Amino acid sequence: MTSSSAAARKNLSKIACNRLQKELVEWQVNPPTGFKHKVTDNLQRWVIEVSGAPGTLYANETYQLQVDFPENYPMEAPQVIFLHPAPLHPHIYSNGHICLDILYDSWSPAMTVSSICISILSMLSSSTVKQRPEDNDRYVKNCRNGRSPRRQGGGSMMIKYSN
Amino acid sequence: MGPSGGALSAAAKQAEQLRIDGNAYFKKDRFGAAIDAYTEAITLCPNVPVYWTNRALCHLKRHNWERVEEDCRRAIQLDNHSVKAHYMLGLALLQKQEHTKGIRELEKALDLGRGANPKGYMVEEIWRELARAKYQEWERTSSKRSWDLQSLKEACESALKEKHSLDMSHMEGFLDDATTSQLEQLEALQRVFSKAAEGDTPTEVPDYLCCRITLDIFHDPVITPSGITYERAVILDHLQKVGRFDPVTREPLDPSQLVPNLAIKEAVQAYLDTHGWAYKV
Repeated sequence: MTSSSAAARKNLSKIACNRLQKELVEWQVNPPTGFKHKVTDNLQRWVIEVSGAPGTLYANETYQLQVDFPENYPMEAPQVIFLHPAPLHPHIYSNGHICLDILYDSWSPAMTVSSICISILSMLSSSTVKQRPEDNDRYVKNCRNGRSPRRQGGGSMMIKYSN
Repeated sequence: MGPSGGALSAAAKQAEQLRIDGNAYFKKDRFGAAIDAYTEAITLCPNVPVYWTNRALCHLKRHNWERVEEDCRRAIQLDNHSVKAHYMLGLALLQKQEHTKGIRELEKALDLGRGANPKGYMVEEIWRELARAKYQEWERTSSKRSWDLQSLKEACESALKEKHSLDMSHMEGFLDDATTSQLEQLEALQRVFSKAAEGDTPTEVPDYLCCRITLDIFHDPVITPSGITYERAVILDHLQKVGRFDPVTREPLDPSQLVPNLAIKEAVQAYLDTHGWAYKV
């Protein structure tokens, strides 16, 4: 848990609140396959359970994603990390940080929690080896609650799953 | 300029200073002092609409709705394009339960506001107030409509049943057929009445009337060269804060390329006219 970043969070803007409520309703009616939202009264932090797709390296495994929404969501991407233990994957660091362009430079406000989840699942499903990123130890050591792999020089290995 | 011209401009200067003083009092929530300053400004220069609307805002803060109405009407006489005057007049009329007139003023304010500053905070605020008023109007009228519909339905059902028993007394044989056709008619009646109640039954607004960013029904839709429609204020915000691209297609996009989508705007209005619950904010 990165409690320091949680403490610094500001309240959601009116637009953010409105939009998250609508996303939540849509999720309840039509959740993305393989994902379960753990219901809480906290609109600003969602904890989502993800099940590895059948026939992939992560079949029969479940992990937890933590999604924190910034004050001016969706003009800014949510912060999405895997809670411990994070899946072994060439683009997921052991501290749960995910190398996925749509979470950083390629974010678009037309994306939703649901579409992010689908991108993350497709990233897991397409993996051919279960291993940490090459720079995992260096990255995690230098990380100190920072959330963006981009700033840590991970940009070169960032993968593109944006549509 | 003769001496009278000089005197006029001195009065105008003094009135302007009084307005600035009034604004300072207003910011400190000292509405009484602000009203006094604006009143003096009005005495010196009665033809400046802003003095009237500023004073109206003070009365509004004190919930003195009659005075709000008076001042706004004066401001509108001086400047029929004052967004604030139409807006506050609308609020005052709604307070007086003059719903239709109040809504008309808010609509006027919204149109004027969109022309002047489409991204402005005022426009969003006016839309919210208008939506609130429309929603309340729907609540008032829809409960009467569903009541009327319900009693009509009950009357129709009992008339059908009566007709059936009348038919039975005349007929011998074919009783099963008659009973089946009566049941079918009752079912058809049920369908007709639930169809009639559809507009007043809250559900999901169709996706094609909702912005892909706000996920909310359009207020002021604009279309991009890619053919995607967005809420104006939000797409402008995106272009400024996130980047100059179409959020759905990621094609390059400049604010100057946004064009009002009038067809969708009319479709939204038509939908809201028959589905008042969709005004809920």
